Amino acid sequence: MANDIILETESLSKHWGGIKALNNISLQFHDRQLHGVVGPNGAGKSTLLNMLCGTLQPTSGCIFHKGEQIEGMKPWKFVRRGIGRSFQKTNIYADVTCLENCAVAAQRRFTGSFNLFASRHSNKLVREAAEKALHQVGLESRIHTIAAEISYGEQRQLELAMVLATDPCILLLDEPMAGMGHEESQRIIELLNELKQSYCIVLVEHDMDAIFELSDQLTVLDNGTHLITGTVDEVRNEPLVKEAYLGKEDDEEEAA
Amino acid sequence: MIFEKRTERIFLAIFFTIALCIPLFLEANSFFVGKVTTILILAVFVMSLDFLVGRVGLVTLGHALFYGLGGYLFVILTPEYEAVNFWVYAFYILGLNALIALVIGAVVLRTSGIYFIMITLAISQMAYYYFFDSLEFGGNDGLFIFMKPETSIFGLSFLNLDNPTHFYYLALLAVLVTLLAIKVILRSRFGRIVEASRLNPERTEALGYNIFAFRLISYVIGSTLAAYAGLLFALQYGYVNPQFMTWEMSGTALVMAILGGMGTIYGAILGTITYEGLLYLFEHMTQDWMLLMGSAIILMVLLLRKGLAGYLEKLLEK
Amino acid sequence: MSTELFFVQLINGLQYGLLLFLIASGLTLVFGVMGILNLAHGSMYMVGAYLVWYFVAVTGSFTASAILSAVIALGLGILIERVLIQRLYNRNHLDQVLLTIGMIFVFNSLQSILWGNDPYGVAVPEALSGAVPFTDNSSYPVYRIFAALICVAIAAALYFLVSRTRLGMLIRAGESNREMVEALGVNIKSLYTIVFAIGVMLAAISGIIAAPMRSIVPGMGESVLITCFVVVVVGGMGSIKGAFVGALLVGVISTFAAVLMPTMSNMIIYIFMILVLLVKPQGLFAK
Repeated sequence: MANDIILETESLSKHWGGIKALNNISLQFHDRQLHGVVGPNGAGKSTLLNMLCGTLQPTSGCIFHKGEQIEGMKPWKFVRRGIGRSFQKTNIYADVTCLENCAVAAQRRFTGSFNLFASRHSNKLVREAAEKALHQVGLESRIHTIAAEISYGEQRQLELAMVLATDPCILLLDEPMAGMGHEESQRIIELLNELKQSYCIVLVEHDMDAIFELSDQLTVLDNGTHLITGTVDEVRNEPLVKEAYLGKEDDEEEAA
Repeated sequence: MIFEKRTERIFLAIFFTIALCIPLFLEANSFFVGKVTTILILAVFVMSLDFLVGRVGLVTLGHALFYGLGGYLFVILTPEYEAVNFWVYAFYILGLNALIALVIGAVVLRTSGIYFIMITLAISQMAYYYFFDSLEFGGNDGLFIFMKPETSIFGLSFLNLDNPTHFYYLALLAVLVTLLAIKVILRSRFGRIVEASRLNPERTEALGYNIFAFRLISYVIGSTLAAYAGLLFALQYGYVNPQFMTWEMSGTALVMAILGGMGTIYGAILGTITYEGLLYLFEHMTQDWMLLMGSAIILMVLLLRKGLAGYLEKLLEK
Repeated sequence: MSTELFFVQLINGLQYGLLLFLIASGLTLVFGVMGILNLAHGSMYMVGAYLVWYFVAVTGSFTASAILSAVIALGLGILIERVLIQRLYNRNHLDQVLLTIGMIFVFNSLQSILWGNDPYGVAVPEALSGAVPFTDNSSYPVYRIFAALICVAIAAALYFLVSRTRLGMLIRAGESNREMVEALGVNIKSLYTIVFAIGVMLAAISGIIAAPMRSIVPGMGESVLITCFVVVVVGGMGSIKGAFVGALLVGVISTFAAVLMPTMSNMIIYIFMILVLLVKPQGLFAK
């Protein structure tokens, strides 16, 4: 297992002035596994994700992708290496159709985007990839609807579909299920279960039931520091974690 | 179909029909043909600005820089008393202008938002004062074109630039080519990413696109079209001077584009015609035409939310 | 350059810079609080200069004319905000640009209709008409020193207003968070009206102070507007402290450039601004 580490951080830190948003985090993410990241608000989960996808520069420490050091590269270069991310706040192209949203995401894989003449609608592969991504998240009925006009939960699904359309090998998902209805989240959980067979997924999520169900590895962050990483059972039985975070919720203690 | 909206198709059909016929009615009145030619040239300039501001999302207040450069480069690079070939030299000059735009774009695109507006303004002001204070380029008086270029292609000559009607059709051709070029680019795969970068730059970068490159190429395209307009204007009047490059020139073009309906491209033609038409009307009504022009602009901002094109679309769509 | 000339130029530059600050402060205040880029700001400077010229010609008293002009400018600011600007808060910035360009047309035209296109001058008030000996063979006009002191006083007052008063607290809060101001039970509309009117008045006061030092001509507003843009961009849009530093830098640099390299003097402040933006893309005191 240890030899298929695909993404790795070494003493990763982010400081804002005197505030340590994230301090000395060393983690390993494996291929074909879902790696959950939990922690109370302000624990540094989003900061970690933002650094893993290159939009935030670490104050110190390194990020390795397939053994190659990549921190400090431009965000779009991260994407080209196959690191795709979804945003916590829905971040879509509100004025165009869902299909077009995913087509923007898919286009880079199939055709030159510096083509000034060929119509954007003329590439079949782009269209198929975009449609496939929409099917995967269950938005097939919304293909031609303007993104601003679908419900909030559906926009969350679209958010995920756009990441899938880039066909990444690593998925960084920032609370993909926040704001979804029960039925929709069930669908996404099923989808993630299926996707983790072939992708490395880093999942930040507040829905504890979902994360316990899905995670192969689970990391707990608290106040910018790394408490523990292990399997779901290991984490649940760790007294430190119970104290800091999970212990507050009685039913989960019983479940463990 | 690259013209998606009904309003757009109706407007363009009417516009080109009338524009094609104008010289037939005004043949005797070369002043009016000249006046309309100028409006067509301005429309090319305003369309190129509308593309950058409304579609790429680069709000520039220094676009007149390239309008002036188109004229200056031509006068500086052509021999003084020899008729050069228009097409060959237009090609050279636009190529050179594109190179200059590439360098300037690489600098100004490091900033964004209000700072982008200001740095483009600063660079065009710099160029303005450079030509204004320069002795070798004629200072405030500018430079004159003594010989109009000839326009033969493979030895065949069918355009005489000294003939106002011929020049008129050359300007109309420029409008058509600019319109088609911008529309094709916007519909293209490149245009898709440009549009995405305007709607949501953060997301576009997170999908793996280097938006700087897309913006830079767009900037070069917009600037080159502006330079072509400037070149035509210089040829029509036979001179170029620093007034081509004032910030008022950039500002007026921006007014025309907003008035027409930002980002609609055909609205730029509509805005240019309306603005120039009102100006002509007011100038002939009273000495204090600026009061009427200013009031008209203020009224139109207050009443029209999406410019004239937006108003027409409200009437004609669905 | 002799030491003496150097100091004269330095004082000239600082004095010019202080005046620039006074004009630019209104521009940056309005932008910082309301997010509006007022291209007609230079016209307000022109209005101040013409008003004081007119009232001096009628009343003969500079002080009375100055106060009267400033009050009229304040009223004008309130009127413009209430009648025009207020309608555009929910529109995009380009509409605001268009509106304020329309206002430039209107003000330039009104100036030409009311007062014609001849250049005018305002006499320096008698009490301030002397010169302070500088060295044996040079001296410095008292009025220019007075003008600089007034600018410093207004800068200090502005600093006090923004950092120490309730209105200032609301202004600072309004910059970062509109909802918060409204949650405090303050009518954001009145706040915007006050801020805009103060901005207009600051520009007009600059015109009033400049009137005895410069000729009053059509188009004086536009040239000063562009220089003010450079000032606020160098300092960082919306920052009053930035406008102060930016104005002094621009004032000193352009004064020395005019002496040292006359052929490039017009270009130099733009080159300076571009260099600043390349190093700090958000200006020196970006928030």
